[in-house]
Amino acid sequence: MNIESRKRELFKEFAPRLETTSIKSKIYIGSLIAIILVGLYAFYLQMSKGQIVTGMRDNVVWGIYEVNFILLVCISYSGAFISGILHFFHSPWKTAIARIVEIITVLSLLIGPIYILLCMGRLDRLHYLFMYPRIQSPITWDIMAIITDIIACFIYLYLTFIPDFAILRDHCEERKIPKWVKKMYKTLAIGYQDTKTQRNRLHKITRTMSAMVIVLAIVAYSVLAWIFSLTLQPGWNSTIFAPYFIVGGLFSGVAFIIITMYLVRKFYKLEKYIRKAHFKVGGIILLILAMLYGYFTFTEYFSRWFSHKEIDTNLLDKLFTRYFWEFILANYVGILVPIGILFFKKFRTIKWVTIASVIALAGVWLNRYLIVIPTLETPYIPIQDTRIDYIFYSASWVEIILSIAGIAAFLLMFALIGKIVPLVPMNYILAGQSAPKTVKEKDNKEISE
Amino acid sequence: MKSNLYNHTFFISIIAALLLCTNGIAQENDLSNYSLRFGFKTVKQADNSRLLEVSFIGYNKTDRKDKVPVFGAEIQFLNILNDEEILLGSSKTSKEGIAQLILPENQKYGTDGEGYINLRARFNSTDALSEEEEDIMVKDLHLDLNLSEIDSVKTVTLTAFTMDSLGVKTPVSDVDIIIYVNAMLSKMNINEGTISDGAYTFDMTESFAGNTKGDLTISSIIEDNDEYGNIIQEKKVYWGTFNKQIKADDHKLWTKAAPIWMYVVLTILLLGVYVNFIYTIVNLFKIKSEGDNLPVEPKKNYTVN
Amino acid sequence: MKKNNTEEGGTNRRKFLKLGLLSSFTAIAGTSIVTNLAAQENETEPTGEVMRLLTPDGKIVEVNASNINKYPEAYISPEESRKGIPDRKFVMVIDLARCKNARKCVEGCQKGHNLDYHQEFMQIKLIRDNPAAEPYWFPKNCMHCDEPPCVTVCPTGATFKREDNIVLIDNERCIGCKFCVTSCPYSARIFNWEHKAKFDDKSQPYSPETSVPGAMGTVTKCDFCPDLLRQGLLPHCAQSCPEGVIYFGDRNEDLVTNGNETVRFSELINKREGYRHLEHLGTKPNVYYLPAVDKLYELEDGFDVSEEVKERYKDVPYVQELKKQGKI
Repeated sequence: MNIESRKRELFKEFAPRLETTSIKSKIYIGSLIAIILVGLYAFYLQMSKGQIVTGMRDNVVWGIYEVNFILLVCISYSGAFISGILHFFHSPWKTAIARIVEIITVLSLLIGPIYILLCMGRLDRLHYLFMYPRIQSPITWDIMAIITDIIACFIYLYLTFIPDFAILRDHCEERKIPKWVKKMYKTLAIGYQDTKTQRNRLHKITRTMSAMVIVLAIVAYSVLAWIFSLTLQPGWNSTIFAPYFIVGGLFSGVAFIIITMYLVRKFYKLEKYIRKAHFKVGGIILLILAMLYGYFTFTEYFSRWFSHKEIDTNLLDKLFTRYFWEFILANYVGILVPIGILFFKKFRTIKWVTIASVIALAGVWLNRYLIVIPTLETPYIPIQDTRIDYIFYSASWVEIILSIAGIAAFLLMFALIGKIVPLVPMNYILAGQSAPKTVKEKDNKEISE
Repeated sequence: MKSNLYNHTFFISIIAALLLCTNGIAQENDLSNYSLRFGFKTVKQADNSRLLEVSFIGYNKTDRKDKVPVFGAEIQFLNILNDEEILLGSSKTSKEGIAQLILPENQKYGTDGEGYINLRARFNSTDALSEEEEDIMVKDLHLDLNLSEIDSVKTVTLTAFTMDSLGVKTPVSDVDIIIYVNAMLSKMNINEGTISDGAYTFDMTESFAGNTKGDLTISSIIEDNDEYGNIIQEKKVYWGTFNKQIKADDHKLWTKAAPIWMYVVLTILLLGVYVNFIYTIVNLFKIKSEGDNLPVEPKKNYTVN
Repeated sequence: MKKNNTEEGGTNRRKFLKLGLLSSFTAIAGTSIVTNLAAQENETEPTGEVMRLLTPDGKIVEVNASNINKYPEAYISPEESRKGIPDRKFVMVIDLARCKNARKCVEGCQKGHNLDYHQEFMQIKLIRDNPAAEPYWFPKNCMHCDEPPCVTVCPTGATFKREDNIVLIDNERCIGCKFCVTSCPYSARIFNWEHKAKFDDKSQPYSPETSVPGAMGTVTKCDFCPDLLRQGLLPHCAQSCPEGVIYFGDRNEDLVTNGNETVRFSELINKREGYRHLEHLGTKPNVYYLPAVDKLYELEDGFDVSEEVKERYKDVPYVQELKKQGKI
């Protein structure tokens, strides 16, 4: 089959979404913007009045901002990790999900750090981090890791976009796409003509970048875990925290990717490319990660319970009294139910795998909450002689609104990216056809159908 | 409902009003509840100057803790000689209610027949406050502090005498004295004794750190003596056992500079990553330049292998 | 009818409130103390300490204590305050046997550092070592550790360890990440959650040594009062303790004082088995405790405090026991 005509076909298939905006999606985008605006108001309130408008107080100085930060950054790292693996090992899978994973990676890496900034008392002094850096501080490591990772993910995402931009550039002329978008395609395609040398070069650097991204993700995960585990706090000071965060992050990341796949498949009508098989394998990966994550969670709490240092006992007591339901939901329901669903073959359907993913994602969020907040409520020196309302934490409406606004911002950016580029990489579809060895025959047939 | 609310407001207002009233009573502006205390003392200081000090404070008659220092009251310090008052100087009370006058070593005082200096502090009455006056009689005592090592025993010797106008020294007796070692924030009592025949001696067995140079400051104090008032004498001596601390290592987790290995590892990591970024970007430019060099109508010119 | 009634009530109430306002105004005009008391109660007002003075013409006047309490020593800039007082190694020794929760240290500290009623650099905990032992009052401030975890984790060097043992915060450098708060095992650090009018008081230049004025969104804590130390004075808490619980001094001199007596630090620690709290964490604190052996006061004496303060201990199991027995 002529590659050129196939390209044109593909472009025709994806172009309508790029050209027009339906009323529905206008309403959708409008409401997202509305939520973000409310979030901006909440942000303004916090900036002008100080963090008194949050639920954080002298004992619990980090709240759900920190939880959101960990969750999003972990999702991003696992996105990077997964797409790195997809590329590095030339997985056929990259056709369906690589683009989605990469977009998730970049977006959550853009939004996640906003939460750590919200946690900071003096945003106006952010540049002090670079003016007076202390490299002993895990925060400094984290800042460096996040910045490096953002750069790496952007470059990486861009590399995978170049061939698509080239196709878009070549075929957008006859379409009624805004001029600036056309111009953008042209610039971003940087004269990529898919010649042999160009393609080889691009492949080579994409491959090294994918390896880089995997390594960076592991380092960044560990640094994030070290922010907690290098302190002396009970519940944080744990040697397995770095791998625990990696596994937990991958677990939540895969769950998040499956949910996104489900939504993209449904709303972008990509049933042809994102198929049941993907959910099936995704479900199996999720199952393996759930078991690993469950194992780590068990080890973490089991060793604390077994050695029962006084301070650890206090923490566990708190988890099993004040946080009883949260603990059950996070560490029993959030792990065992996904395992229970995914364990049976007949439940590995699109719907059930997605349900399991939602439960898993909520479970991980709660698990992070239980790592951050109860620990801060259980310091070495008992909380006494403090004003009563300073003892326990509950998120204020400002924190909740800003959390929701973060999700809205994510969805909005996702929608906008979806307006500019196809969510399934066209060049991979093409590559899948031109290099049948890497794709199973059956898949190939389905693709070309 | 409404009238209930009304009642509440009414009562709350009354309670509030009462509270305001009681507050007014508790800390009154009326002077009648305060008794003024006027205290006068003199200290002969280590440099042989003489400090005259008056404290002028009003105390609440019922609430002892409530005190009001008199601020800006002019206090006159006088030397009295046969009913004749010689003004030594005057000073205003500070916000703590204290007025001080320091007279130099060479200040001449008139003394009575027994050798007493008669000192008087006076506050002249105003419309509101009545006159206050207090007298002290002190003899001018010369206190010498000698610190020497005798047979490698650190010996503290104090000599105390009075001197008449002709310069004849008379040793004093039965004067209680306390010897201290000065610390940064306080003085530590190391010996107490009584001067007899104009002298008091003791051996200092304990050792003290002193300051960085190894200097130890020792002071001897005669406190509130009936005849001589307060006298302080101080001296520095090289008796300290201060060991200069070995300077701590700079490259620690909690110092400004980090442990060396951290710099090394971080540099390697960052270099590795950023060199790769640059490599990638350079390659992108190569792709671009190659694309730019291709013919303008590329679509038909290439095929896929 | 009903409507009428409510209306009447309404106007009456308004009238009354008006009257009340008026009378309180006159009260304020009559006694300026009242306004000052009100100002002290209101946390957001720039209170400062108000001092009453008597003038020679018989008037009692009020002056802002910041005028009185100003530090005569030269201004110590943030750069200088990173070095510390040369050749000093400050230590604190707290004699638990003498503490009766009189809370004068807490109040003295709050006054000295211009803190709100609800902000404590010094807190009094009720600690029980084991179920058989009687609890004891445990004053706790910053331990000024030799290997401070808070300094380690600070990303900007806003908090630092000085050569004289003091751990200080430069609130002009602090970015408010609160990592130090979470990494301090002694819960010594507090955060300025909101802006307060007193932060606007720029009458004296900011120095980390005085830690006033504070700044919104930054961390603050006990600083061992280096401004007082430079004047040869004891920290506020040691000065204000009526029982002489808190000894303070220079470890190089090996002498510590509680204001009344001066003792050798090494002897005090040796003879009375002084210890450091949470020694096993390896932070090497510079606050030592003398065990609560042969306590001078009954534990219950410590509950001779306001109801609000009592409430702060309500979750302590021992306090609940005492309450059941009706002892407090």
